[in-house]
Amino acid sequence: MDVDGFIETKDLGKVYTFGAVQVAALRSVTLSVARGRLIGVTGASGSGKSTLVNLLGGLDRPSSGSIRVDGRLVSDLSKKELALYRRNTIGMIFQSFNLVNAYTALENVAFPLLFAGVAKKDRLQRAEELLRTVGLEARKDHRPTELSGGEQQRVAIARALVNQPQILLADEPTGNLDSKTSRQIVEILSDLNRHRGLTVVMISHEQALLREFADEVIRLHDGDVVDREVLRQKP
Amino acid sequence: MRISDYIGQAGGNLWKKKLRTFLTTSGVVIGVGALVCMFAFGQGIQRNITNQFKKLDLFNYISVFAGGRSNRPGESSDPDDHGGHRRRRMRDVQDVNHPGPQLNAQALERIRTIKGVEAVFPEMRFPAQIRLGSKEMFTLIQVLPAEACRSGLIKLRSGACYASDEPNELIISDTLLHRLNGPDPEAAPGTKIEVATLTLDFSLANLLRMAFSAGAQALPFTRETYAFTVVGVAGQIGFMGPLPLQSDVLIPPGAAARMRKLSLTSVWDLFAPAGGGANYSSVSVRVDSPQDVEPVQSQIEAMGFGTFALMDQLRHMRVGFLIMDMFLIAVGMIGITVASLGIVNTMVMSILERYREIGIMKAVGATDGDVQRIFLFESGAIGLLGGLFGLGLGWVVGLIINEVINTLMVRQGAPRMNYFSFPWWLCLGAIAFSILVSLVAGIYPTRRAARVDPVVALRHD
Repeated sequence: MDVDGFIETKDLGKVYTFGAVQVAALRSVTLSVARGRLIGVTGASGSGKSTLVNLLGGLDRPSSGSIRVDGRLVSDLSKKELALYRRNTIGMIFQSFNLVNAYTALENVAFPLLFAGVAKKDRLQRAEELLRTVGLEARKDHRPTELSGGEQQRVAIARALVNQPQILLADEPTGNLDSKTSRQIVEILSDLNRHRGLTVVMISHEQALLREFADEVIRLHDGDVVDREVLRQKP
Repeated sequence: MRISDYIGQAGGNLWKKKLRTFLTTSGVVIGVGALVCMFAFGQGIQRNITNQFKKLDLFNYISVFAGGRSNRPGESSDPDDHGGHRRRRMRDVQDVNHPGPQLNAQALERIRTIKGVEAVFPEMRFPAQIRLGSKEMFTLIQVLPAEACRSGLIKLRSGACYASDEPNELIISDTLLHRLNGPDPEAAPGTKIEVATLTLDFSLANLLRMAFSAGAQALPFTRETYAFTVVGVAGQIGFMGPLPLQSDVLIPPGAAARMRKLSLTSVWDLFAPAGGGANYSSVSVRVDSPQDVEPVQSQIEAMGFGTFALMDQLRHMRVGFLIMDMFLIAVGMIGITVASLGIVNTMVMSILERYREIGIMKAVGATDGDVQRIFLFESGAIGLLGGLFGLGLGWVVGLIINEVINTLMVRQGAPRMNYFSFPWWLCLGAIAFSILVSLVAGIYPTRRAARVDPVVALRHD
């Protein structure tokens, strides 16, 4: 097993073009993340954090450089391969939860399995197990609008886990939550990292939480990594 | 994704927007309904005309005439004969003395041996006065061999065909019998009927009579009377009968040969010897089935005779039917086109409303194809519903119009008819067409959905 360099970026750059104006969201990011680590990403607004997570999650393509995950060159994948990569390798959590309001909590969690071709009965069974894991079994028939922010984010976490990914990417998962709920959410992510061995990349502005739970923290500024602090080593 | 999941997704999403689904589907229902109704009307008219022809047995006959000029489509040499309206020319019919092969008993025998020919009989008719009791009427008498009579051509209401070609026996139509104040058809066989014919008479006695009398008697005609016995009463002969039986009285050839008469089929008969008839002006050939018409026609033409078959005209009629169908479809297509624009609008709206959801789909692993198919199934479901209900609407509207037409036509004395035809292929075709149109209408919006950038969509409010 490749412990070092499970996620590797080399000279990763992303330039957005708005008419005649070009904006470099990421300039030249070179990173290496070992399997099973919980990485915190921090930085000011517009520093390129979300761009980095979107590129790692296969939602976007880099303008330059490369991304390699578990030895596989993600930046060279076709559109369809990239969709399969998102489906099978990545679980994503967003600041605004991104749940489908028309569906119940249970249906939201089961949603990714639809595209994996899993039978409806199995989809709902697996989704129910995951809702139980995040403590929301009793709210399975509620729609997102009937749930609190923390509950919605727990549903989103359950949805991210439903395809048994290797990597969890969390884009400011506590951004819309109060401090108590934020702590509960980060605890869940940390628990998944420790007990399930998931590699977690989490964007957050909350330094205290990052220092308490992350193995290392990467600081971005104007699209470049300006600081990388290893907080704890894992056996 | 599984097919059942696509169907479930489409059904669920359409159900969530019931009013919009209802309105969009209504557009398709009206479009398909109009198209189905128009097409069914065209089909009904075609079916009624073709059935009427079949009922009269018109497709199983070939008229053969001396002169070798064919009236088959595409074979006319007349530059003025445009548009396929090639009519049988009197010249062909009358040209008995044409230098080509003669249409005589030998020719009839040769035609009879052609494969597929069921019966051959000359089309011989002559005018006569027939008298039953005190009632006398003018009619055309047709000569029909006993064999042809027994071939099932005639639907006898009572009695039987004459046993041979010789006796002075006749078959009369029930309508003429009625007009002659005759007995009921069941009691008619055995009734004596007097048949009187006119012939040319240039005898000295007649010429003297002509010279010293006035009015109608001043013509070189003489009247001959013959006694006949009714052996059968037929329904549906005469004007409404099958093609070769266009007379109300049928007699055997032997009896006809013994009569002095004027034939109406050729002016040359005026000068033919009495009791003659070696050459015929035209002959009817009955074939086993309409499929035999073409090969038999070709062989007869190869003998040097001209032919005419209504089967040929059917081809012209089919072109006419096709043009009528095209016109009706074009009118119906207006509704479908408007409905398809409604589908495009609905799908674009649906995609805009679910823009963020599309981003979520892609973030959790949906391929572009998955997204496109989800929306295409929705589009197709609108088409399926529109097709099913449109078919129902077309059927109901057809039923109502049919009743209205029938009410009006029955008042005019016409029989009740079904003016609309809904064959199975029209029903299935309408549903399939509706789905196809909906899918085509959905192509643009669904491709747009498939191309949605997930990063942008996830930020969308």
